[in-house]
Amino acid sequence: MLPLTLLRTAQNHPMLVELKNGETYNGHLVSCDNWMNINLREVICTSRDGDKFWKMPECYIRGSTIKYLRIPDEVIDMVKEETVVKARSRTDMKGRGGGQRNRGGGQSKTLDSDGDCLTVG
Amino acid sequence: MSAQGGGGGGGGGTGGAAGDQKDRKRKESILDLSKYLDKPIRVKFSGGREAAGTLKGYDPLVNLVLDDTTEYMRDSDDPYKLTEETRTLGLVVCRGTSVVLICPVDGMESIPNPFLNPET
Repeated sequence: MLPLTLLRTAQNHPMLVELKNGETYNGHLVSCDNWMNINLREVICTSRDGDKFWKMPECYIRGSTIKYLRIPDEVIDMVKEETVVKARSRTDMKGRGGGQRNRGGGQSKTLDSDGDCLTVG
Repeated sequence: MSAQGGGGGGGGGTGGAAGDQKDRKRKESILDLSKYLDKPIRVKFSGGREAAGTLKGYDPLVNLVLDDTTEYMRDSDDPYKLTEETRTLGLVVCRGTSVVLICPVDGMESIPNPFLNPET
């Protein structure tokens, strides 16, 4: 299970995000990308010392500033289902695409002087 | 200001067929700053600075152009603690790499502790 896979699965779920600066953000995950940049909606921000609170309708957080995210337990089960589906489709791909494996890969071909392909290995 | 096209821009530079392929492969940014254009946004920076200003432009690296910007001054012995004090910065370019958080000013408000359960 990859961290970003879990995070993608957690879209539309509530979560807690703590930043490196100590602030925490509670909100619903709207979207995330490969840098772990995230969009949250209906957010409650808690200050570092935990005594000030702000409400914001939405916010964008840069992934590199995140310390950790707390994700609801049920999300992990949804990932498992997804991996099974994915693994199956990957096997299908292998069956269908197997014949084209060496297409265009020049290294394993033997060429004669004028460039005609003699063997493909 | 041409920076308004920022959302569609990209790494750029590669032309021809390879460029087309890149276009197909490249995913849209999850951050749509166009909806904040000419609206006030709050920006937090790494290191603790915070500012609010009207978004005038941006690029794919999240460099920002803010107008009528106000910086929220911080406690002298805690760089992450804001005070009531502010100062006016006016027109600024914010560097994307130091942007930590962006949110709209509209709808942002200080609230009492929402995690306290009144029954307990």
